[in-house]
Amino acid sequence: MAFIITTPPNSNLTATALNYIELALEQGVSVLGVFFYQTGVLNANEYIALASDEFQTTQQWQLLHQKYQLPLHLCYTAAEKNGLSEEKNTNNIASHFTVSGLGELVELTSAADRVVQL
Amino acid sequence: MTPANEVDNQAQKLVAILNSTAPFSSTNGKDALDLALIFGSYEQVTSLFFQGDGVWQLINNQDATLIQSKDYLKTFAALAFYDIENIYLCQQSLNERGLTDSQFTIGNVIVLNKLEFSEKLHQHNVLFRF
Repeated sequence: MAFIITTPPNSNLTATALNYIELALEQGVSVLGVFFYQTGVLNANEYIALASDEFQTTQQWQLLHQKYQLPLHLCYTAAEKNGLSEEKNTNNIASHFTVSGLGELVELTSAADRVVQL
Repeated sequence: MTPANEVDNQAQKLVAILNSTAPFSSTNGKDALDLALIFGSYEQVTSLFFQGDGVWQLINNQDATLIQSKDYLKTFAALAFYDIENIYLCQQSLNERGLTDSQFTIGNVIVLNKLEFSEKLHQHNVLFRF
């Protein structure tokens, strides 16, 4: 499977996607990768701090990446439009994200049996 | 990123990109079009679908510069160069907005009734929504 996330970290759709992906991984489903597009790229902002009584989306991505080596691909064009940068002095992209392009989504779509967007 | 010709040759999937929002109220339309052009440049079979307020994206005589936006609508003309020729639009959505098929910016739009639109969408394997 592959996933495309087009919603920001405070969206319930993002939380649902995270739960869905975690369950798939727990059950041994092969998840080829997650692609972040549109405001979904905000999930990669290292400095986003969600209120402590909210679901900690950004932390969850990191946990899934660490536990399952889940590839997290970021569309760089969308990232730039949303204030993210990997420049040396202004880098705000969390290190567990891979900066990619839309071509990566083509690859994931081509390789996966299913592509899920919430 | 792997070059286009190295995408493996598994059974090709038919990709549908569904547009259901108006052109300038969000970046959805532009983001969907960018996605379509990339899939086209990787020679993936890709169709565009327009329904609801999404039909406004194909309507002519819109000046994005009046609201400080970039005019991405003219890029629709480039779809043909990427071999994206399947462009489907919902007749009912068009009627509900008082629009007609003589107002499209590109020539090869296929207008389908609700049932045909749904059937066509179901023939695709992958769906991206904007």
